[in-house]
Amino acid sequence: MPVAGRSVGGALAAILGREGLREDDAARAAASVDGEVPRWVARPATPEQVSGVLALAHDAGLAVAPRGSGSALELGRPPARVDVVLDLGGLDRVLDWSPDDLTVSVQAGVSAGALATRLAGRRQLLPLDPPGAATRTLGGLTATAASGPLRARYGTLRDLLLGVRFVQADGVVTWGGARVVKSVSGYDVPKLMIGALGTLGVLVELTLRLHPTPEAERTWLVRVRDGAEAQAVVDALLDSAIQPNRVELLNGAALGAAGLPAGAAAVAVSVGTVAAAVRAQGEALAALARRVGGEAVPQPADFWDRYGRAGALGGGVRLRVATLVTGLAAALGELDAAAADLAPGVAARVTGCAAVGALHVALAPIAPEAAAALVERLRGFVAPAGGSVVVEAGPRALREALDPWGPVAPGPLGLMRALKDEFDPARVLNPGRFVGGL
Amino acid sequence: MALTRTVLDALTRILGPDGVISSPEGRLVYECDMQTFYKGAPDVVALPESAEQVEAIVRLCRRERVPVVPRGSGSGLIGGAMAPAGGVMVGLNRMDRILEVDLPNRCATVQPGLVNLWLTRAVEDRGYFFAPDPSSQMVSSIGGNVSTNAGGPHCLKYGITVNHVLGLELVTGAGERVQLGGKVADRPGYDLTGTAVGAEGTFGLVTAITVRLLHAAEAVKTVLASFPSIEHASEAVSGIIAAGIIPAALEMLDALMIQAIEAGIGAGYPKGAAAVLLIELDGPAAEVEAQAERAAAICRERGALDVRVARDEAERALLWKGRKEAAGALGRLAPMYMLQDAVVPRSKLPAIMREILAISERHGVQIANVFHAGDGNLHPLILYDDRHPEQVERARAANEEVLHACIAMGGTVTGEHGVGLDKAQKLPLQYADADLNFMYRLRGVFDPDRLMNPGKLLPSHPACGEGFRPARPRLPDGAWI
Repeated sequence: MPVAGRSVGGALAAILGREGLREDDAARAAASVDGEVPRWVARPATPEQVSGVLALAHDAGLAVAPRGSGSALELGRPPARVDVVLDLGGLDRVLDWSPDDLTVSVQAGVSAGALATRLAGRRQLLPLDPPGAATRTLGGLTATAASGPLRARYGTLRDLLLGVRFVQADGVVTWGGARVVKSVSGYDVPKLMIGALGTLGVLVELTLRLHPTPEAERTWLVRVRDGAEAQAVVDALLDSAIQPNRVELLNGAALGAAGLPAGAAAVAVSVGTVAAAVRAQGEALAALARRVGGEAVPQPADFWDRYGRAGALGGGVRLRVATLVTGLAAALGELDAAAADLAPGVAARVTGCAAVGALHVALAPIAPEAAAALVERLRGFVAPAGGSVVVEAGPRALREALDPWGPVAPGPLGLMRALKDEFDPARVLNPGRFVGGL
Repeated sequence: MALTRTVLDALTRILGPDGVISSPEGRLVYECDMQTFYKGAPDVVALPESAEQVEAIVRLCRRERVPVVPRGSGSGLIGGAMAPAGGVMVGLNRMDRILEVDLPNRCATVQPGLVNLWLTRAVEDRGYFFAPDPSSQMVSSIGGNVSTNAGGPHCLKYGITVNHVLGLELVTGAGERVQLGGKVADRPGYDLTGTAVGAEGTFGLVTAITVRLLHAAEAVKTVLASFPSIEHASEAVSGIIAAGIIPAALEMLDALMIQAIEAGIGAGYPKGAAAVLLIELDGPAAEVEAQAERAAAICRERGALDVRVARDEAERALLWKGRKEAAGALGRLAPMYMLQDAVVPRSKLPAIMREILAISERHGVQIANVFHAGDGNLHPLILYDDRHPEQVERARAANEEVLHACIAMGGTVTGEHGVGLDKAQKLPLQYADADLNFMYRLRGVFDPDRLMNPGKLLPSHPACGEGFRPARPRLPDGAWI
């Protein structure tokens, strides 16, 4: 039932305390999502407060947009409604780190950088390294299914998230999964929360699997003459006994942005293990590169910091392109051709994990219409093999011109809609932003 | 519940007479899985050969409101592939083909009835393997592995089944055949594939599975260390993990288990040891070499009586043979055993082993232990003679206490076998009402009529019933609404 803003504000203040609720214009404007200015900005300090806010929002018919560091707010469709922005940055405690068990439980607002700093003391790591991860929250990384170069070896959140506490749309605090590294008791609820953009529940706590930091690590840039040679390097590498922890593909524009020597394309490979094995695998990689016609050039230790900059940009358009591993060169070729046809003069930087065919494309500067045409063309190219193109960031106009998620087949989409109908029938959580307008 | 003639006739029309087993003696074969404690024969067994037939069966059963129970090889340990409420059991063994092997993209698509090991056999000459390796892998089906989200000794490094499933073709409880996921790793939307793995047939029947294949490691080394006590061996486990080594497998056997294996197949384990640690390392040759040396040194520092490195493939196979056939070897000690599958945080191993010993003494039952020490997944085997009812009672009481002790240490009721009928009533130990209710509703999304493998995975509990509403927070008083 509709309620007066003032009384809802009062109830929110009672739940959150004065320090947890902002209603002033400046705070509301700063928290806007795609230009939609919320009526309240809630910054809960405890999961119980999250629960209270959602229960209230549910009963009062309000729409809630959860938010971590605010770095991925352009992922998804423009929101249908935003009444409350729920800033989870205040849930920033590391709850339980058990180095002997290689597990850690954290609140969702802990940043990946803060956790990494803690873990480094015992030479452990959470191998989750998308661009900008250091300042992003772990809840946000989970809700957006973010991944980075290290997925080549360690997989994604699907392989790292063991347990999750979330608050359902009606305020019910719920736990799924386990706090141990191995459990099959009950449904794998954590999987459901990864990449769900908070549309089935607001994440408040995560239990994650950790890995030991390799004692030695080295990186090489395998320079090649064209996309086909890059594909040959990737294919040969994956079919070899070399055990890389990163296999990243870069096109010419990305090489330039990272301040690396010019070229048409390159494959950046790192190996992390004991020192003797790093040496041996480096030699194997050099031989493999020579066989394919390329050259493996050793890189300095700060290579991956610079690499992160190649994918990052402000104000442009970022795409996630998923393709078969064997389709990487073809996707690169199609992207270049499409850019030349539809957006001449626009630099398309391509980086991404070649070991699984998960590419990131950064386009700037580009007009929304040109970007939309380019996305449609790329979708047409990768879809027949099961690939997809998701707009990860870009202006609202682009995400209104086309569905930023792309099509989802009717069968799975029907199940996704049924999930949303079951767990958030009132459409409290991020309404309109997810696939199919869920 | 007896099936109507209509259902039997319709099944015969879908499958032909060869695809339907309805005789009492034929159905009896299907009354239990390897957990023989629970028995329930289906009213009829259907043996489809195609996904279309599976879909037709599910639609028929939904129309007629008949339970559907999937079954692979029947090698499960949880009372999953049996029919407590009767109905139609769908045996998927005839759907055992490899549909596609795509090595350049490191994946394969198979039918659910394919035996786990056959997939590795099909690709090993080209240097690839399918990582999930439950001890049953010579007989268990990949569909069954997906259904229970099976583990295995090597999941310490490689993960459990779900980490290797890229896509599923699923006939939901609503009778819809949907393709979830596929060969391309990432796709927009909820991870339905990941959510459906481990659903134990309660979401519907899986008719095709796309799995990841891994490149075989360059080198493998198996190290065997024996210790004067479980504590010493557990210390070594902690030491190995703390040294940044993640072995492919890290298995522990206790004295009773060692004794049974040696009396049985003779795996060459040292006599008199109170614990044996089997450490397997795989990866690049230089890494394996260095880490094996380090692991061996750690074992010696933590008081190992003896440390051996398998010299060749034959010796390695023998060391593993003992581990893989551990449960069978117990037949020499007692006619029956109850097998537990609980998990504790790895750091709690010494504590839980002390507790299990105390439980064993308190109830006067022998408990042999073989477990995945690397991930804290315990397999205490509680021995009893079923000809003596009071032994059965004592074993059951001990079993119960072990489970409670594991949960009290922050563990979970099943690490890799699954829930089935066996553990369903244990879930409330681990989950609150709201958590159970969420799972109950999740199942309803895939299986609205709740006819798919009824009685499994979810407990009979108020939170798993229509109309249950978990407690919500109390909102502030006032005139706001």
